[in-house]
Formats: sequence, C-alpha cells, structure tokens
Amino acid sequence: MLMLLIYALTVIPLSLLLIYKAQGLNQLQSQVNSLKKSLDDMDEQAKLIVRTDMELNKLQEELDKKIVGLYALQRLSRIISMTLEEEQIFKRIQPEYLSDLGFEKAFGFLWDDTKKQFILHFCLGYSDDETKEIQLFINNNKERCLNFITSEKTLSSISESNNLITPQQLSDIFKAHAFIVSPLAPQKDNRGLIFVGTKNVEMLVTEGDEELIKILATQLAQALENARLFEKTWRAQQELEKKVTERTHELTVAMEEVKKISARKTNFVSSVSHELRTPLTSVKGYAAILLTGKLGELPKEVRERLEKINRHSDELVHMVNDLLDISRIESGKVTMKTEICNLREITSKAEDLLSGQLKERKLSLNIEIPPEANLVMADRTQIERVFINLIGNAMKFTPAEGKITIHARKTEKMAEVNVSDTGCGIPEEAQEAIFEEFYRVDNAINQEVKGTGLGLSLVKYIVEAHGGKIWVKSKVSLGSTFSFTLPQTS
Amino acid sequence: MQAGVGVSTQQDHLKAVREAVGKARLSLNAGKVDFALLFTTGEFSHPLVLQTIAGIIGPVPLLGASSPTIISSQGPLKHGLVIILFSVTEGVYFNAGLVKDIAAKSTLTAGIELGEKLLYGCKNVRRNLSVIFSNTEAAQSSGLITGLQEKLGKSFPLIGASIPRNVDHQENSLYFNSEILNNASCGILWGGKLNFNLGIEHGWQPLGKPRYVTKATADVVHEIDGQAAVDLYKEYFAKEIPELKRELKRISVFYPLGISISEKKEYLLRSVVAIRNDGSLVFQGEVPQGSAVRLMISSKESCLASARKAAEAAVKNMEGKKIKFALVLDSLSRYTLLGRQATQEIKIVREILGENVPMAGLYTSAEEAPLGFISYSLGKTYFHNNSIAVLTIAN
Repeated sequence: MLMLLIYALTVIPLSLLLIYKAQGLNQLQSQVNSLKKSLDDMDEQAKLIVRTDMELNKLQEELDKKIVGLYALQRLSRIISMTLEEEQIFKRIQPEYLSDLGFEKAFGFLWDDTKKQFILHFCLGYSDDETKEIQLFINNNKERCLNFITSEKTLSSISESNNLITPQQLSDIFKAHAFIVSPLAPQKDNRGLIFVGTKNVEMLVTEGDEELIKILATQLAQALENARLFEKTWRAQQELEKKVTERTHELTVAMEEVKKISARKTNFVSSVSHELRTPLTSVKGYAAILLTGKLGELPKEVRERLEKINRHSDELVHMVNDLLDISRIESGKVTMKTEICNLREITSKAEDLLSGQLKERKLSLNIEIPPEANLVMADRTQIERVFINLIGNAMKFTPAEGKITIHARKTEKMAEVNVSDTGCGIPEEAQEAIFEEFYRVDNAINQEVKGTGLGLSLVKYIVEAHGGKIWVKSKVSLGSTFSFTLPQTS
Repeated sequence: MQAGVGVSTQQDHLKAVREAVGKARLSLNAGKVDFALLFTTGEFSHPLVLQTIAGIIGPVPLLGASSPTIISSQGPLKHGLVIILFSVTEGVYFNAGLVKDIAAKSTLTAGIELGEKLLYGCKNVRRNLSVIFSNTEAAQSSGLITGLQEKLGKSFPLIGASIPRNVDHQENSLYFNSEILNNASCGILWGGKLNFNLGIEHGWQPLGKPRYVTKATADVVHEIDGQAAVDLYKEYFAKEIPELKRELKRISVFYPLGISISEKKEYLLRSVVAIRNDGSLVFQGEVPQGSAVRLMISSKESCLASARKAAEAAVKNMEGKKIKFALVLDSLSRYTLLGRQATQEIKIVREILGENVPMAGLYTSAEEAPLGFISYSLGKTYFHNNSIAVLTIAN
C-alpha cells in the first residue's frame, strides 16, 4: 500500500510534469512554426523585393544607357560641328564616343558621283582585311545601298528583312551581333551611310538607339554640308583675293604711270615757266624803260597800253613764280627749312604788309593766337606766303566793313590756325575743288578780279609739305573759314 | 618612401606614356626611381608601351595590369594609363616576383612559387605587406592565395586584384618588367619601416532566409538545402534556367550569394558566373560546402556608403603620418551597378584620402584582402567579389 502510495506520489507529479513539459514543447513547436512561417513570409517578401529590384535595375540601366548615349551624342555633335574640314569630321568619331553609345565598330561611306562608287571615310574596330571586305561588299551592292539611302530609313539588327539588304546578311558581313545602319543626307549631293555595331551578344538594339544614330547621321550630314559650303566660300574668297591682287597690281602700275606723267608735267611746267620768265623780264624791262620817257615822250594812248603791258607782265610773273613754286614742292626739290616760328610775329608781319589794302577796303583784321598755340615748327618764309595768300583771298572776297579773323588753338600735337572772313562764301560743291590748280570759283567777284587760281593750290602744297592738313568750311553769303594745321614744338 | 602618379588619356600611345611618366617624375620629386606600378586600359597593352617606359625610367621593376577601366584621381578612365613611380627610402625593402603559366601547374604550387620568389632577398627583414595581381580563372585564385599564405604566413597581409581576362572582347593582361602576360600572377613584397592601412567593403545586405550549401566543389555549388543550387535563383526571380541565363550578367552583378562568416558577422560575396544545365552554379571564387549563405542585394547609395567606409578605414590610425600613396582596387560589378555614379564613388574616396594624396588603381573581377582589416594579427586574406579595397601607404 505504501509502495502504491509512493508510486502514485512519484508517478502523478512526474505525469503532471510530463504533461506540463509536453504542453511547453507544444508551445515551443507552435512558436517555432510561427517563426518559420514568419521567416517564410519574410522570404516571400524578399522574393517580391528582389523581383521589383531587378525590374527597377533594368529600367535604371536603360535610362543610364540613354543618358550616356545622349551625352555622347551631344559631345560628338559639338566636336563634329567645330570643324569645317570634311576629313576631320569623320576623324572626330573616336572609340570612346562609340563605346558610350554602346558600340565598338563603325564605318562611314560617301557616294562619289564622279567615280560612281562609295568611298570609305572612316572605319573603327575592323582589321585592314576586314575593312577591304566591307569596301568590296558595299561597292558590289552599290545599287542596293543607294536604294537604301533613298529609302531614308534606318536598318538594324532588329529590323524586319526587306528586299534591299537583310539584317542577317549584314550581321555576318560586318561581324556584329547588334548593329544600326543609317542613311546620310539622302536628299543631298553628299549622300552616304554610317554603320555602328557591336559583337556584344548581350546588346539589344532598341528604337531609342536607332533614333540616336539617326540624329548622329543628321549631324554628320549637316557638318559635311557646312564643310562643303565653307570650302565653296573659301574658294570664292580666294578667287576674289586673287582678282583684288591683280587689280591692285594694275592700279599700282597705272599709279606709277600717273606719277611719271605728273613728274613730266611738273618738269614741263617748270621748264616753260623758266623759259617764260626770261622773255617776260625783257618785256617788262622794255615797257618800264618806255614808260620812263627816256626814249621820248609817249602819246597818252601808248602810255595807257604800256601801263597795261607792265601790269599784265607783273601778273604773269606772279603766276609763273607760283607755278614754279608748286612744281618745285611737288617734285620734292624744295625742302622745308623748319625752325621754331612764332605765329604772332608771322601774322603781324602779314598784317603790316597788307595794312594799306585793309584800310583801303575798310576791313578789320583780328588776330587771336593764345600762347599755347603760338610756337610751331615751320619754314618761316613759306608760312608767311600761306598767311599772305589766305588773308589776301579773304580781303578779295569780303565786302567793305567786313571782318577777317585769325584764330589759333592747340590740338594734340598740332596747332590749328583758322582764317575766317565775313565774305561771300564758297558754294558747297566748289569747296573741294578750290585747292586744285587753276580752279576759280564761278562768282561775280572772280569775274571782276583777276587771279591765277594757283594761290590756294600753293598754300595746300606748303601746308602738306609741313605734315599738316588744310580744309575749308564755308556758307554762301555768310563767310568762309580756312583752317590748317602745323606741327607744334615739342 | 615617395610616390609620384602620372596620368594620360592621349590617343597616341607613346605620347600618352611620355606624358604620364613625365607627370609621375615631376610629382615624385626624387632623383631615383626604384620600381613602378602601371595600370592601363586594354588598348595600351602593347610591348612598345613597356619599352618606352623602360627607356625613360631605366631598368627598374615594373608591375601592373590592364583593365577595361582604370582609376585615377580624376575618376574612372575608360581610355588611358596611370603610372606610379616609387622611390624607396632607407629602411624600406621590397622584392617583386612573377609566376607564369598557372594553368599548367596546380594553383597551390603556383602560389608557393610566387611566395618563394617574393621572399627571396627579404628573409632577414620584417615583412610587412604584399600586393599581388593575377589574371587566372576565378577558381584558381583561392588556390593561389593558399599557396602564397603557405610561404608568407596565414595572417600575412596580402592585398590583391584579379584582372578580368576578357571583357567585351578586350583581352586584359598583366605587366611584369617588359613582359605582357596572361594566366600569370605577379606581386611585390614590402618589408622594413612601412606603415600601411586597408579598408575593404562591399555594401551588399542579406535578404531572405539563410540557406546551407549542402554540396559544393571549389567554385561550383551543386546543391543548396538539398536542392539544385539554381533553384534558389529560380525561386527568388520566378524564372526558369534559360531566362536566368539570359539575365546572368545582371544577376551576377546585382544579386551575389553571401557566405556568412560567423566570427566576423560579415558576408563574403560570390557572384554567379555560370548556370549549368544540371542546376549547379559556378561562382567567382570558392564556396565551401556547409556554408550558410543568403541572397544579397545592394543599391547605389549603399555602394557609395561602403566606399566611404572603406576609405575611412584606410585612413584610420594614420593620423600624423603622411599618406604617400593610395591604391584603389574596385570591383567591375560595382562599376556596372553604379553606372554614371561610378565617378562619384572615386570622388568620395579621394575626398576622404585628401586631395593631395597620390591615388591610382583599377577595376577588378575579384579582390583579395584581409576581411575586416584592423591590425597585423587579424590579417587573414580572403577572396572577395563586388568590393572596394583602399590601401594606404605611409612612411
């Protein structure tokens, strides 16, 4: 009984413990199952993640490929458009650009209408033998190639076969698993084709790739067009330059001839003036002797005629002297003996010389020469002649009570002298011509007052021989201003 | 030690060499050149390039490699070359070595041979660091490391780059002195007074539940959780084998397998390089049988953040020491994942290293480096995928 009790006391707790343990194990098993289920669920989720990730990666790759391709195309377009040499355009297509576009092989042909064949302009990724094979194939199939170019459609490894060229045929000939061929300028003279391809079996050509290569072909065609236009323009320019050079040469020859004639004219004028001066001196001398009456009293009519002869002789001598001076300056025989000259002194001397005539004509002469413009480098005698001529002219064309003003001012390196009057003025159309030899303005005064038409011409020669310039500003009936420049002392 | 970096992107190869070497000499600011590192893009892989360099700098040891993309302080370069000239100061020793025709011998033997060559002449000095470059099949790299560790020591800091042998039909090669090599490995071993630091990160995160590799041989995983290995990818992507094969390049870059390393709380990445019809998967590097693995996922942001972490680790504890040179070994998978932001990654590294630190490197198919590098004693080297390794060297 005791044994039974002990047995019962031992077995019952053990059974209870076993039951409890079994329950624990069941719970643990349940937890393990739950964990296993969670792990399986997690694994299922992981599968979804992986699949989605893979799709995203594919899209990303495609996007990256497109961006890299577009970037390569942009760089390629830029460098292609930067050259205007036809051969250089093709040389700019470098392997790294091709690689970014996803290809390692490329070539380009242009149709030569004179030779009636396709000419290879660039070839990348092929051996010399392979290049020869390609050239042979293209020219053996020139009609098909020309038709392909005319079709204006790209052909690629994913294109459906047409009657022109089959993709499989090209794949074998051009040793490329994936490729694109695009026509080049089908409507233009420089028509051709470009090919890009790869041996990479993983490369799949997409419509986007075809678009990119089509754009590249358009860019190439445009660059070729520009290069040819440039070549044409350049040739035209060269032609023009050649013509200009020829004309310049002809003009130079003509100028030399003119100079020779001018020199001959100067010599002639100088000789004639010299020759005229001797008999003139005699005429004037004899007229003067006769007028003295030493050879007998002269009748009034004779005296009047002799006085006319004497006066005209004076004018003729004056004209001959002017002509001689002009021809001397023109021929370079007269050198300006420049020295520091005081303009105030020179103008005062001219004023003294002409004071009688000024008074007689009731004209005032104002001289305004500021100290900064007073000293010039000039040949005193010649500059005196300039002032006498310009003041003399002003006196001639300014009516009584009129004003003559001499004003000077300093410019950068020169002194500018202005001789103004309130005379009748010079018509605009005559303002340039008045400095020409023997030119006289057609006006009432000139018809009354005699002149040689050499004074202003002589003045111009003298001023220019000093390195200065002379010009006139005038308005009819308001007066004239003759301006000239002379170098200042340093 | 002094280092000078020169870069050129000129089209003409010889002009590019002269420009880059000229710049490197100028930046080296030292009379003598003791050895050189050269990284070029594939088109520069030509004997004339090496001859021209030797003609300028003289007969000094030269190591390097070509890659589809190289790294300069300007960012990734798809066409160009970068040369680093080193002038060794007193108390620093180095030795360069090469092992050829690795396919013809066992990789373990090749590793031992390279280890012996590197140790030659450095037996009585304190060995510090070795940098190796190899262009062998991925499966061979693990053996190569094991062989090297056998000679140099299991915890010896070994930093390396596996160069992709062929990318987009472009062959890539190793450079050793005047030789252009394939299926080879070359390296340099430093000893003496040299300070260096390393940061290596990948930025991938585990996703989904853990699985176990139940059957594997080297880089081929036959079964995961008792099922064909490919079932893991079939389940996750809801695609059959032909579709998975078509998407292999993308899967390889974006969704590697992560091998859990229990003691490090980190994952070693392994990219799928082939899917076999029997359902087994070939990975870029060894996957031990019994490993706990998980599918890994990343994003551009996570990748950029990991580059920052790697660079920060590389400059950590370098306070007060002037960094003379930084070598950046970056995975081509990261370059693909980052796309247009690949430049940003190099910019981040440069910012952390400092604008004036000479920096160069290349994109790799795999990287070899100690995991969670902290100190000399924790320097056990692992084979990495999808990682960025930044090595800094100071006097």
